[in-house]
Amino acid sequence: MGVFSESVEVACSPAGQPVRLVWGNRSYRIVAEPVRWYQRRSWWVEEQRAELGRGAGLVDHEIWRVQIQQGGRSQVRTLDLSRQGNPGRWRLIKVHDAIQSLSA
Amino acid sequence: MSFTHLHVSSAFSAHYGVSWPDELAEAAAAYGADALACTDRDGLYGAVKHIKACLAAGLDPIIGVDLAVRGGPGRDAGRVVILAHGGNRGQGYRALCRLVSDAHDGTGPESPGGGRGSRQARPQRTRGPIIGLDRLAVRAAGTEDADGMAALTVLLGPYSDVGKALHGRRYAEARRLAAHWRTVLPAGTLVVEAVSHLSPPGENLSTAHAVRMLKLARDLGLPAVLTNAVRYCQEDGAATADVLDSARALTALSRLSDLQPNGQGWLKDADRMRALAREIVRTAGWGHREASTLLAATEALADRCRLDPYRDMGYRRPVVPEASVIGISGNPDTELAQRCEAGVGARFPGTAGRAGRELRDRLDHELAIITRLGFASYFLTVAEVARMITGMGIRVSARGSGASSLVNYLLYISHVNPLDHGLIFERFLSRDRSTLPDIDIDVESARRHHVYHRIFERFGPQRVTLMSMQNGYRARGAVRDAGLALGMEDEDISAIAKQLWRFSARSFREALAEKPELRDISGQVEQDRQLDLLVDLTERLDRLPRHISMHPCGVILGDKSLLDRTPVQPSRLGLPMSQFDKHDMDPMGMLKLDVLGVRMQSSMAYALEEIVRIHRGKAAVTAAGNHPADQAGNGPSYIRPDGRIDLDAVPLDDQATFELIRSTHTLGCFQIESPGQRELVGKMAPRNFNDLIIDISLFRPGPMKSDMVRPFLEHRHGWAPEHYPHPDLKPVLQETHGVTVFHEQVLRTFDVFTGCGPAKADELRRLLGSGEAEAGVAEYFRTRSAERGYPAETIETVWGTLQAFGSFGFCKAHGAAFAVPTYQSAWLKAHHPEAFLAGLWEHDPGMYPRRLLVAEARRMGIPILPLDINHSKDTYRVERVPGTAAAPEKLGIRLSLAGIYGLSAAELRRIVAGQPYDSIADLRARAKVSRPTLKRLAQLGAFDELALSNGPAALAGRADLVHHLDLMDGTGRSLPQRYRPIEGQLALPLGDLELRNLTPVFPEPSLADKVRTELDLLAVDASAHLMDSYAPLLRELGTTPARDLLGLRNGTEVLVAGIRVATQTPPMRGGRRVVFISIDDGTGCVDCTFFHEAQEQAGPLLFGTRLLLIRGTTRRTGPRGISLQALAAWNLADTASLPVPPAGAVEAPLPAGSGLPACAQGHSPEPGAPESHVGGPQAQRIRS
Repeated sequence: MGVFSESVEVACSPAGQPVRLVWGNRSYRIVAEPVRWYQRRSWWVEEQRAELGRGAGLVDHEIWRVQIQQGGRSQVRTLDLSRQGNPGRWRLIKVHDAIQSLSA
Repeated sequence: MSFTHLHVSSAFSAHYGVSWPDELAEAAAAYGADALACTDRDGLYGAVKHIKACLAAGLDPIIGVDLAVRGGPGRDAGRVVILAHGGNRGQGYRALCRLVSDAHDGTGPESPGGGRGSRQARPQRTRGPIIGLDRLAVRAAGTEDADGMAALTVLLGPYSDVGKALHGRRYAEARRLAAHWRTVLPAGTLVVEAVSHLSPPGENLSTAHAVRMLKLARDLGLPAVLTNAVRYCQEDGAATADVLDSARALTALSRLSDLQPNGQGWLKDADRMRALAREIVRTAGWGHREASTLLAATEALADRCRLDPYRDMGYRRPVVPEASVIGISGNPDTELAQRCEAGVGARFPGTAGRAGRELRDRLDHELAIITRLGFASYFLTVAEVARMITGMGIRVSARGSGASSLVNYLLYISHVNPLDHGLIFERFLSRDRSTLPDIDIDVESARRHHVYHRIFERFGPQRVTLMSMQNGYRARGAVRDAGLALGMEDEDISAIAKQLWRFSARSFREALAEKPELRDISGQVEQDRQLDLLVDLTERLDRLPRHISMHPCGVILGDKSLLDRTPVQPSRLGLPMSQFDKHDMDPMGMLKLDVLGVRMQSSMAYALEEIVRIHRGKAAVTAAGNHPADQAGNGPSYIRPDGRIDLDAVPLDDQATFELIRSTHTLGCFQIESPGQRELVGKMAPRNFNDLIIDISLFRPGPMKSDMVRPFLEHRHGWAPEHYPHPDLKPVLQETHGVTVFHEQVLRTFDVFTGCGPAKADELRRLLGSGEAEAGVAEYFRTRSAERGYPAETIETVWGTLQAFGSFGFCKAHGAAFAVPTYQSAWLKAHHPEAFLAGLWEHDPGMYPRRLLVAEARRMGIPILPLDINHSKDTYRVERVPGTAAAPEKLGIRLSLAGIYGLSAAELRRIVAGQPYDSIADLRARAKVSRPTLKRLAQLGAFDELALSNGPAALAGRADLVHHLDLMDGTGRSLPQRYRPIEGQLALPLGDLELRNLTPVFPEPSLADKVRTELDLLAVDASAHLMDSYAPLLRELGTTPARDLLGLRNGTEVLVAGIRVATQTPPMRGGRRVVFISIDDGTGCVDCTFFHEAQEQAGPLLFGTRLLLIRGTTRRTGPRGISLQALAAWNLADTASLPVPPAGAVEAPLPAGSGLPACAQGHSPEPGAPESHVGGPQAQRIRS
């Protein structure tokens, strides 16, 4: 997974699901049902502290895989976004080269 | 509709669960749940705590277990959760208990019921608990009287074989396996459990995984439920769960293959769980309705499993063995009254008049309360156990508040007359108390296990089980496992772990900042990022349960339903052990008997045997012990004609005994040997038995912390006038000179001021120190006292005292019970020191290393007889040392062969069986000792006398023999069969040719060398004191011997040196830590107090160093007591660091490290147990 991380603005539905996002000054629509999961982190390598009471986000982070489209006809792209906090800050962590279909 | 979590591991799932039952219950109640399950791994370890937590939070408890299942021979069927059905008069709970016991059957080192002696025969078998699927089916079906209703439900979830197959998308296999489960289990006992931790697609516990589970359930027509396989209350606990996984697998996190996929196994609220259900169903491509079905099925199962703690589990209903088992057919109340009558006749012959009336009133009072509570069977049961133990010829004494009861005294359960010491029955049992009281019985530690086995035999294995205890993480274990998780090097972890003691893991960071001995580590933490993480993880592990083990003394007695109420598993004794601990006893109505093994009782029993053996007959014992004889020359009645002393009949007013106590030479005496106690007895100078009770009661954290000791001593010695807040309290407080020391005094004070009666008074006392409730007590006390006309000012003063002292004063009954063995041990030391010390060496009961008690013998002028192949046995024995022209006959103590390092039990048995030997060859041939053992015996001089007996021809010494044995490499092995002597063939009486033919080459080893060898091989310096080799160095340094300190003026600055024998950090007033270090220099002990500054100076020397040089000023503590206030300390072995570097002419003394027993570092009480720091009763090691 790409390590670069870039801030993106995401608008969510009342249920907390992303519906639109702004990336690189362009606005995109989320075109398919996004997939969400919690990705483990090797916190014992990445973190300085793991004190009691630190709360969520140490052991895993929330990832949303969304398919986006600018306008009606342009290419559909797949992005992995990480959300920190809820509602919270969104960061782009991966841009997929081609559309991948994720099945259960 | 809320959501009920049916799969929740509490912290009592060792190395798995993270959160405590009350945290979980509170969190569930907070999101609106009305029920919550506790499904610990492999047992019901947290079940009772869960019930309590649920009752407190207003939830219906559900109980289950997470168990491994064997599908067939050698086929692992994974793990499933099994829940007990409720509302069926305990059928579900009972099936669950039995199921868990079944799963543990045969898991111990020996299988339960294997009994004694099978240990060697049976191969060690250690496997985890597992239940066969067939067995599970039988338990799930319930018993016949359950009207065909199933007792259990099995949750087939992601960790089952079916769940694992679906994780791997092996659909056909999963179907086949699930069908097998369905076939074997009774109808209606199997449901499919879907879990999604929202892990990445393809991983375990992903939503897709849950979907596959649901689809399988639909295909097979099985109901499905949703759980979250909870391991922690909140997201925060996920990291702790990772560390526990690492500790369980003994593998660093980075190398752990089956980490939880992420941190989503927390107790999510109902909204989140409902959303999760919708998400799973949507992923499955189903409609909303399916989500509702899933949630409804979950709630339906929850409803089926709600337990009524009272009706299903017998919660809070005391159960005692059936009357028929304790041998009574009639009414237990009548039986108890009759036995007490018999006791009156035996214990109080001829008591009449006022004393007789008092006795009668007290007995009637106690019996009325016992009858009212229905506890007569309980007392009869305990009396039966006490009678049984006494019948085995084992020393037994009651301890604790049981001594408050006259009934216990009359039934020979306790040996203290409560009327003599003003002990109040209500402190033990009152009409308002519905839980069974505790009666603790001390027995000889060496025979404790025999007692256990006999209790099992007497009451039947279905009515008895051992109690267990939870062992939680302490600082050292926590730092080790945290280090392991981070993949740190072993040595690095050890270096840190070694420094950690006396504080809990939770305060690690705080301790690093404050404690001088941790200065080096603290520096590292600042530099090393990983250490920072180590500190955090250590704090996370703090107190979490690691495993259960046999409680050191608890035995649970019940009726024949006991094993329906508690699951059991094998203990290391082979006897079954309950999965419940002491906190679970009262809630579960279980009768727990504390049968404590007390090493001091074994030591005293041993001493009594030695006295009989060496003296033979009453007259000789009377003369040797300097016991009072009547005019006809007959010794006292407590010595029987054969010389056996009935210790319990010895009068409690022997002056020689109190003189010994006042001398402060109390090393080895029960309860009063610690440095702090020696100081206190020196100050207090006890004159009678009641003084001894007060002394023991004062020496506890409460009184020490709250400064009760100083005013008490000032009043006692008349330095300050006694003061009573009100004349009415004078009778209550007189015995302690106006200071409130005992619970009994708190009770009486309440009673005097409010007229509430003793039962209510005890209830009020229990509420003291408990925040809100205490405010109510204050209100009651003020109002009632005012009504009774006490002036407001007095009421406030008295309330202040009650408030301050009431919560941690000491129960006088405890003190009285402890004072008996204290007095008895001091009595033995005063009259039969040789036998007493032999008993101490044999059973090692106290806080000090054995070598200190050997030094004590040397100090007392008792000859320490060396190891000898013909005279030493497998025990420490008293021996007559023939008199000479200059000295009369004496008694000495012969060292035991048992203490030799590396000597096997079998060798020891053979050596003793074959004694005496006329040569080394003889020993070799008959006792078949190994060559290393032979060499060690030679090194320790065990053949010195054998060599002498071979006449002057044997000029060679110990060193030559050792050298010879070294050379004999090979030839010393056993001869080929054909050259071996035939059994029964006589040896030629040649004496020891081997010894006689040795050529003397080497000089006799020096005394220092001998001492070094003794320390290496025996952990005892027997020939001379270790410090003797330091004499030249000490002369140069100008140190003062311990024995000369008493002659010095208060405040003299001196240097002392010696071996550390004890280190203690008692809790102190004002919170600043004080460290007591006692060193022994061969002339006695010096007790040194290190205050803050001195601790700073000593730094790392404070806890690790064995040989110390200390500068300090003398502090007189009493007529016979002196201690040192330390100013600075050095490591004596590090000569270069010493304040006056030696000139170099000094012969090199023994190195510090070699051979000193590890325990010379000092007794280290468990951190987190403040009682033990002051050397109170708990500090006397009570071990098996």
